[in-house]
Amino acid sequence: MIWVGWRQQRTETLIAAALLAALAAVLVPTGLTIASAFHDGRLAACIGHTEEGAGACGAAVQAFGARFANLSALLAWATVVPGIVGILLAAPFVLQLEQRTHRLDWTQSITRDRWIAGKLGLAIVTALAAALVFTLMITWWRAPFVRLQGRMGNSIYDSEGTVVAGYALFALGLALAVGAVWRRAVPALMVAFAGYFAARLFVDTWLRQRLVSPLTATFSAKGRGPDLSRAWVLSEHPVDRHGHAIEFIGCPRDAGACRVNGTTDYVQAIYHPASHFWPLQLVETGLFAGAALALIAFAAWWTHGHA
Amino acid sequence: MSAALQLEGLGKRYGTTWALRDCSLEIPEGTVTALVGPNGAGKTTLLEMVVGLSRPSAGRLYALGLSPDRDARELVPRVGFVAQEHPLHRGFTIAEMLRLGRELNPRWDDALARARIERLGLALGRRVGKLSGGQQAQVALTLALAKRPELLLLDEPVASLDPLARREFLTTLMEAVSDGGLTVVLSSHIVADLERVCDHLVILSQSRTQLAGPIDDLVAAHRLLTGPRSDPATVARVHQVIRESHTERQTTLLVRANGHVYDACWEIHPVDLEEIVLAYLGYAPAGPLREAVAG
Repeated sequence: MIWVGWRQQRTETLIAAALLAALAAVLVPTGLTIASAFHDGRLAACIGHTEEGAGACGAAVQAFGARFANLSALLAWATVVPGIVGILLAAPFVLQLEQRTHRLDWTQSITRDRWIAGKLGLAIVTALAAALVFTLMITWWRAPFVRLQGRMGNSIYDSEGTVVAGYALFALGLALAVGAVWRRAVPALMVAFAGYFAARLFVDTWLRQRLVSPLTATFSAKGRGPDLSRAWVLSEHPVDRHGHAIEFIGCPRDAGACRVNGTTDYVQAIYHPASHFWPLQLVETGLFAGAALALIAFAAWWTHGHA
Repeated sequence: MSAALQLEGLGKRYGTTWALRDCSLEIPEGTVTALVGPNGAGKTTLLEMVVGLSRPSAGRLYALGLSPDRDARELVPRVGFVAQEHPLHRGFTIAEMLRLGRELNPRWDDALARARIERLGLALGRRVGKLSGGQQAQVALTLALAKRPELLLLDEPVASLDPLARREFLTTLMEAVSDGGLTVVLSSHIVADLERVCDHLVILSQSRTQLAGPIDDLVAAHRLLTGPRSDPATVARVHQVIRESHTERQTTLLVRANGHVYDACWEIHPVDLEEIVLAYLGYAPAGPLREAVAG
């Protein structure tokens, strides 16, 4: 069954590999340039001194960031790759249901259970391998930036750690589930991609910050607050001495007129510190992978019952 | 002779519609049975239930003495199945199709498969999707035969083939049968070729079995009676009238004779298989189909 499963998803696996190879073709040369720029600029010495006013370091870090800003922004789009790979790897299964060739396989000597387990197992393993390769490449590429800025930024966070595996599995599971019921590959995979995109958008913009309780710090605007340079800051707003938000509603245009006795001397920040990286990653990965397993189990069960 | 296939009141319902209903029959081992009926008569449904692709809604079904539902693990390796339109993996080469057969079937006979492909004059490296319909059918049949089945089910295997490909396909099938140890059930709505290949016949119509038995016996049991126009009631008292047609002067009856027909009013002719099949396809068990032929 392993050979059969591999042969039936060979084309899609090769396309996924080509996709990753194309990404590598961009990442490897640019990554080397970035690494040498980081080294030549002696930026390692600046880690921890990136805040404004740190003199030569501030300028060097800024120049480094500016030089690779476009590339960095471009690479933020790489976050769609795990989804595409997941959907792609669901294609052979759905295509086979569409062309009804699963019935040919089922009327050989193999049981349905073994066939389904073999096909889906192979797709899962391939998706995980692709996610691993993707994560390693991006993590290596981004390492200099991460050393300077941390990895809590949205476009960095979602291609590091374990979440990529969750995304790839979720895309795979969603495409399998929709495809198992619909049995028309092209529309099913398109709908699955739209669903995947919507789920990612929902998690990115709303859910993720709520997965782990953020920290709240109130501190004097004049003094030094907590180091937020590597944190994911959800909000930062002026408060009064007791931590109540200051209402600007009804104030004249220059808000200064509202200031009463220096009450805005305090600032409240709600944020995820860098130490929340792994708790957030693991919870988010668990959510996506759990949903993925439920979807894959559904696809297996439905396929089993519908020859 | 024990039964390769035994159905007792078998039925399959999709929603509120019965695709097959109250079907009872026995197919002896070592026979080649034609399952004949119009489109939608339940032939495909029946074959799919035997091979376990579909589950009966009613009744019982034993293939090689096993239940496809409970003993699938034991039964499926012993049953060969060629589905309608014989879907194959179009992107595979022929060699890869054979490899699939080898990987998925413990009793796979690779030498047999290769010999058959060679005899067909097909190169192993050719893509299945690029083969003609007849060649694809042959590859599908090879795949089913190399599995070394005891029971081979073919669903409309020749319906989509041109006459030449049809003949070649049936020749291959007959050779396989002559090797022995194989029971074949073959569904079709084309009657012409069947007589050459099959020794048993089952007619399915309106989701029920209308007729089943050895072809020779069935042909021998049916008669065409022609005589002056008359009411067939007297004949119907003794024999089963399958079809009656009348012109102004003449009445023609196709009957399943219960012994000899002694009535001197009738001229008695033998009938061929095709005529019998056609008569039964229009036959409803409640009574004979009336065909009034004008003029």
